[in-house]
Amino acid sequence: MSEHAVSLRAPLITGDKSIAQVTDDVCAPMEGRPTALWWGAFIVAFAVMLLGVAAVSYQIATGIGTWGVNRTVGWAFDITNFVFWIGIGHAGTLISAILFLLRQRWRTSVNRAAEAMTIFAVICAAIFPLIHMGRPWFAYWVLPLPNTRGSLWVNFRSPLLWDVFAIGTYFTISVVFWYVGLLPDLATVRDRIKEGARRRIFAFFSLGWNGSYRTWHHYEAVYLLLAALGTALVVSVHSIVSMDFATSLVPGWHTTIFPPYFVAGAIFSGMAMVLTLMIIARKTMRLENYITIRHVEIMAKLVLTTGSIVGLAYATEFFIAAYSNNPYEQFVFINRAFGPFAWAYWIMVSCNVIAPQLFWFKRVRTNLAAVFVLSLFVNVGMWFERFVLIVTSLHRDYLPSSWADYAPTSVELATLAGSFGLFFTCFLLFCRFLPVIAISEVKAVVAHDRRTFGGGR
Amino acid sequence: MGTPAGAGDRMDPVMPKHDEKHYWKSLEERDGAIDPAALPEFLAVPSGADWRTTRRGFLVAAGFGLAGTALSSCSRAPVERAIPFLLQPEAVTPGRASFYASTCAGCSAGCGLIVKSRDGRPIKLEGNPDHPVSRGGLCAVGQASILGLYDSQRLDAPTREGRRTSWDEADRAILSSLAEIRQQRRPVRFLTSTITSPTTRATIDAFLASFADARHVTYDSLSASAVLDAHERTHGARLLPRYRFDRAEVIVGVDADFLGTWISPVEYTAGYRSGRTLGDALARMSFHAQIESRMSLTGAKADLRVVLAPAQYGLLMAHLADRVARLAGANSPFELLAAPPVAPALVDTLAERLWHAREKSLVVCGSNEVGLQVLCNAINHTLGAYGGTIDLDRPSFQQQGSDRQIEELLGDLSKGSVAALLVAGVNPVYELPGGEALAQHLKKVPLVISFSSHLDETSSLARFVCPDRHYLESWADAEPVAGALCVTQPVIGPIGGTRQLIESLAAWSGAPKPAYELLRESWMTRVYPRRLADQPFEAFWDRAVHDGFVEVAANAPAGRTFAAAAASVPAAAPAAAGTLALVLYPKVAMLDGRGALNPWLHELPDPITKTTWDNYACLSPAAASALHVAEGDIVRIEVGGGSGPSSAIELPACLQPGQHDGVVAVALGYGRMGTERFAKVGPRWLEARPTVGDDGRVGKNAAPLASLSDGALRYSGAPVRVVKTGRRRDLAVTQSHHYIAVPAHLAPAGGARRPIVQETTLPAYVKDPAAGSHGHHEAKEDLWPSDHSYPGRRWKMVIDLTACTGCSACVIACQVENNVPVVGRDEVRRHREMHWMRIDRYYADRADGGVDVIQQPMLCQHCENASCETVCPVLATVHSEEGLNQQVYNRCVGTRYCANNCPYKVRRFNWFDYPREDRLQHLVLNPDVVVRSRGVMEKCSMCVQRIQDAKVEAKRQGLPLSDGAVQTACQQSCPAKAITFGDANDPESRVARLLKDPRHFRVLEELNVKPSVGYLTLIRNRAEGEGGGATGHE
Amino acid sequence: MSRRIFVGVFEDEADVIAAADASRAQGFAIVDAFTPYAVHGLDRAMGLKPSWLPWACFGLGAAGLAFATWFQFWTTAVAWPINVGGRPWNSLPAFVPVMFELMVLCAGVGVVVTFVIARRLGPWRAPEIPDLRATHDRFVLVLDGGASDPRAVRRVFADCRAVAIEERDVEDRR
Repeated sequence: MSEHAVSLRAPLITGDKSIAQVTDDVCAPMEGRPTALWWGAFIVAFAVMLLGVAAVSYQIATGIGTWGVNRTVGWAFDITNFVFWIGIGHAGTLISAILFLLRQRWRTSVNRAAEAMTIFAVICAAIFPLIHMGRPWFAYWVLPLPNTRGSLWVNFRSPLLWDVFAIGTYFTISVVFWYVGLLPDLATVRDRIKEGARRRIFAFFSLGWNGSYRTWHHYEAVYLLLAALGTALVVSVHSIVSMDFATSLVPGWHTTIFPPYFVAGAIFSGMAMVLTLMIIARKTMRLENYITIRHVEIMAKLVLTTGSIVGLAYATEFFIAAYSNNPYEQFVFINRAFGPFAWAYWIMVSCNVIAPQLFWFKRVRTNLAAVFVLSLFVNVGMWFERFVLIVTSLHRDYLPSSWADYAPTSVELATLAGSFGLFFTCFLLFCRFLPVIAISEVKAVVAHDRRTFGGGR
Repeated sequence: MGTPAGAGDRMDPVMPKHDEKHYWKSLEERDGAIDPAALPEFLAVPSGADWRTTRRGFLVAAGFGLAGTALSSCSRAPVERAIPFLLQPEAVTPGRASFYASTCAGCSAGCGLIVKSRDGRPIKLEGNPDHPVSRGGLCAVGQASILGLYDSQRLDAPTREGRRTSWDEADRAILSSLAEIRQQRRPVRFLTSTITSPTTRATIDAFLASFADARHVTYDSLSASAVLDAHERTHGARLLPRYRFDRAEVIVGVDADFLGTWISPVEYTAGYRSGRTLGDALARMSFHAQIESRMSLTGAKADLRVVLAPAQYGLLMAHLADRVARLAGANSPFELLAAPPVAPALVDTLAERLWHAREKSLVVCGSNEVGLQVLCNAINHTLGAYGGTIDLDRPSFQQQGSDRQIEELLGDLSKGSVAALLVAGVNPVYELPGGEALAQHLKKVPLVISFSSHLDETSSLARFVCPDRHYLESWADAEPVAGALCVTQPVIGPIGGTRQLIESLAAWSGAPKPAYELLRESWMTRVYPRRLADQPFEAFWDRAVHDGFVEVAANAPAGRTFAAAAASVPAAAPAAAGTLALVLYPKVAMLDGRGALNPWLHELPDPITKTTWDNYACLSPAAASALHVAEGDIVRIEVGGGSGPSSAIELPACLQPGQHDGVVAVALGYGRMGTERFAKVGPRWLEARPTVGDDGRVGKNAAPLASLSDGALRYSGAPVRVVKTGRRRDLAVTQSHHYIAVPAHLAPAGGARRPIVQETTLPAYVKDPAAGSHGHHEAKEDLWPSDHSYPGRRWKMVIDLTACTGCSACVIACQVENNVPVVGRDEVRRHREMHWMRIDRYYADRADGGVDVIQQPMLCQHCENASCETVCPVLATVHSEEGLNQQVYNRCVGTRYCANNCPYKVRRFNWFDYPREDRLQHLVLNPDVVVRSRGVMEKCSMCVQRIQDAKVEAKRQGLPLSDGAVQTACQQSCPAKAITFGDANDPESRVARLLKDPRHFRVLEELNVKPSVGYLTLIRNRAEGEGGGATGHE
Repeated sequence: MSRRIFVGVFEDEADVIAAADASRAQGFAIVDAFTPYAVHGLDRAMGLKPSWLPWACFGLGAAGLAFATWFQFWTTAVAWPINVGGRPWNSLPAFVPVMFELMVLCAGVGVVVTFVIARRLGPWRAPEIPDLRATHDRFVLVLDGGASDPRAVRRVFADCRAVAIEERDVEDRR
């Protein structure tokens, strides 16, 4: 790793921590009793999740008709939420994998939480393709299984099927990557506990890790490989998701720039969500020394970059449509900006393109409150991006005779809320029971800092 | 027993072709694909190694067997309710349909039917192609009338004072009170709608003959009484001529919706269409001008449409008469006329066109003003239409009502002088203005007998209700047009203890007889003598029953030659300031309300407004904005002249382009008693809204706003005040954007009007048959190798937009054939209607401020490169080797991706379970078509069940599948024969020829999805450049 | 049979690296080192060869790719060819995404499984740690005491600022 490059900068981990302190600090929240704040957050999140469960059960029992969708707008909240959560799920692997390959050592403080976030987001996402089916009890038919009448498998020509594989792979690899990263820390926690159920559980999951350097040696290789594969996945998954739209015939969907546009958008929204969570986490878990202003600032810069890419994509879409001279294509985009759903379109633009521009100013980037608010804006904006894309393209396509409007029902709103409930419930449990920070990796950083900047000893 | 063209003997239930019984094990074997003799009698017993079992294997099997038995014995045994045909009815082969000829009683037009019956239950009505009146078509109302048979709310026994009773008891009571009336010589009145059945008419006369003062009063709630009265004046005989649109080259319609609802729409549509055949040798294109105040189906089809306030029809027709008379060299019947309400040049054009095509031109007037009809007759006389396009020698009996008679009767009733009133086929309390008053007067009548099959506004007031049978349960006849005798035969045993009208009357006349005998006797005495060819009665009768009709000599009161009755200009009352002229009109589906108990007809989108499940106040956009009314705002319509609150109704507004600004139009036939049942229609869920209105009924009854005075039932012209109430009720519309152009403020440059429909004018077409084409996109080369050739059959469809009137018969035909559910008002409002076949209706603004209307039937286009198929993850929609786009319901998981990706948006999704509102309706389900469950996608299958059936039949007969042997449901019912379907690989087939027609185009061809459904350019008979040609998007 | 080992415990990664270098210089056989994190440079010091796992990963990925290619072709073009939207029986471009995903899946999951097996990790395995703080903040170097002279070893460890040095007899697994 490029030592002098780093040495020009301030230490990543403040507070002049020793290796031992790292373990103690990170394990503290797991070993102490949960704070009132944690309990409050958990109860709220869990309640909202139950609301979602109720909504989904009602919908499955009654019919998709309990949503606002219709013969023209066949998808709306369902796929919007799906793409939104998949997008959120990208930051984790991005931070862990890509930044790892790029030797960005600042990642070590946030990658663990970011990976966990990825997994929970993908879980939230995966729910929607299931429940959006008219007959979810037959959802397993999208798996490559022969049917009872002979070798009727699945339609490998369908982008939806590509999704099944993409999401499945992404989820599996994310979990594996996360778990592999967790192994040494599980061992660390295990060895802090004398005995009891917790020790046995950690012992079970730490696979008998003993810090053997011969194992570390191979471990490094595996981690590097996973990082490489993960990187490829991050790009492929959202590209494939974008093909659900790009390979279709619907004006406004049939857009060739979708894959890069979606990937940028995903990283954008993911980063925003990481910021949101990290800013909460460092407050509630007293991790100020590990998640420093500098971390926040770097991520703010990433948000600014990707946000600008997304803005460029919006503009490009319009230009391509206008230039194509295809009346249907042109109309869809004019209709987006000035038609019945213009309000959604302008929310999207102001949240995704205009708001992040404030990150040009260091004073904004280094102001936690400001960053927090802006990250929320981006989350909202990116949800609306998917909503605008899906609904405005569908509701007025080729034949004016079948144009239709769309309005969500209470069931849809409850389902959306529920997915957030699920996400935060999972995340809070994770904070409570697992090390939110990659102990071993931070130790490496700490050791490095100590060598670079000297310090106690 | 009538059969559709070329369908061979398969429908012959009486004598199966092969006598010796033929048992089969499989369809293939039945169809002769397998020779049973060739098959081994027993399945081969696997021998040797296959049988060897290890002990382990045995134990496993035994264990499983044990567990299995234990488990299965836990479940309750299913209840067996399979009852075999103990007495196999002759002519019923389980699983094979039989077809019977009959006559439709949906209205009094008397169209020919072929009833499709499966396992003893009629499941589908089709037009009888040989029928002299309807010529093969069948309208939406006729198609839907089969549902009335399976209506569990029909009375299944007579009632007395509202209480159920037996026929004997009812007869005894009725006979005694009749006897009393007879010897007291008190007045008896028999009130019916038009009765085209000679037998029924004779029976009624015979019944009434025994009374001193008895009269048979006939009225039609959609009255054409003025036409008959006018002919009484001008031709000395009160009759309705038969209009021969097929002979007309120039047609001027004044407020006559003859393609939609007027008198005999199917007959007229067939004639109209045969006057507009392009492409082949006998190329004819009549010119049709329509003068009307609201947008009617007929006006929408017209080549020239003149929008006029009802009050001005008279003046315009006077001017027309005047011009025509001048052209004829006669002197004008009028001294001086006020200036014409339209540009004089227009009147001249019309007059000249009419005169130029004299004897082949026709003027029809739908108004119920005798004065107008007299004018109309005068014009037609001058044009020599009588004997040409108007047939008086074989007149029509489809409308016989007399407004004068009913007016007198109402007078008598109010005086309380009537002792007995028998009501059949009408519902005066509901249909007539002043129904409340009539209801009061009926209470004063000692004996009121209703023959209604339901408890309606009138029969609920009757002392006795002797429910008549549904016509599919009855023996009857009809003579819609003089000389065309039609037979109605029962196709199912009566459901419930009803009795036919003529049986009841016969019983009360002291000679009880079954309807069959009554009918035969009456034919023996009245019809048989009029036979044309000499043959024994049995043969004559069998022929008639088999064909469903027989042509005999017309014995109608021949109209005398034209007597120039004083043709006067009807006084046009100037509309008072601040009022609109009210126009009450019948809807294609609902007519006068006879369809009001039929969910199919309620959910059928109106061909013009595309609105379902309600009636509404149609206002022109200008009028609406003047009243500050938006679509869906509830307005209060008060009849001027201070008549009570009874004659004011509140309805949601509907903006209707092309309507006169001074007019508010309201549909009749809504708000009927009995529509409360539809509260059950539609799914129940959190945010569901009821199908019925606040008053528990569907729509509001507008009849009280009509007026019945000095011998005429008036529907239009009454001045009304329209007031905004401030409340709203969203209309359930299936099409929310009505124009073919996109909203102006969102239109990309040059892309305002979408190139979806090709249209042009006749002159342009004559110059270049490919005129109006958007430049033909030859099928582009695909990126990929084409692995799919269609060596066998290749099913394709062509729809002629010039022929299509938008009457929507096909929509209902498809619904009946394919078990399409009814979803209810709220679901339609949410854009979830289920119709596989829809008719897109587009408006296009004309330079002169008018609007053109385009009707485009839209169904699954069965694309060769179907965009829906590639995206389905589970292969639930795939392509057949005959080019059909197949939907596999039981494989569908309902991702709706296919629907999103369908550029035509023809796919329909089962958002909920949509159960039938009436369990008895399950009997009408077509057993050849799966009933779809919740969560699956569905769409047009091109009636694949009919294709398979025809193939099987052809194979059974060892004949090749002939062109036309397969007819889709929509094609069969189309009165205009606008739809052609067949095998494109057969160069001789009609569809193959039409595919080569220069008019042929495909919708969204540029997408290269290669649809199998094509259209023929819409041609309007107009001067070049007078609209029609412009397609935008240059 | 049991054998003798030397365990040196260090407080800083630099020390353990130095100790490893010295031990190899002295020709002592290094059994293993135990560290709380992947100490960079220790591999060089211990003279470990680069991991062979990347090759396993490559092989597994290739296998996944091959399978996906064959399977999609077989199901759509061979086993039951169905006309889907007029596309050719063998729509190879449409198969690419699944090919890619299966490749990554096999490579990723496969290499981790290989790693776990190769390093004899697994649930229920009791960790063999010479010093519990090796997963916390201590660096441990273990030498094979078979041949080497105990005093020499102690000297080397001491030079490298070892905080604890001990000799142990352990059950030999290998």
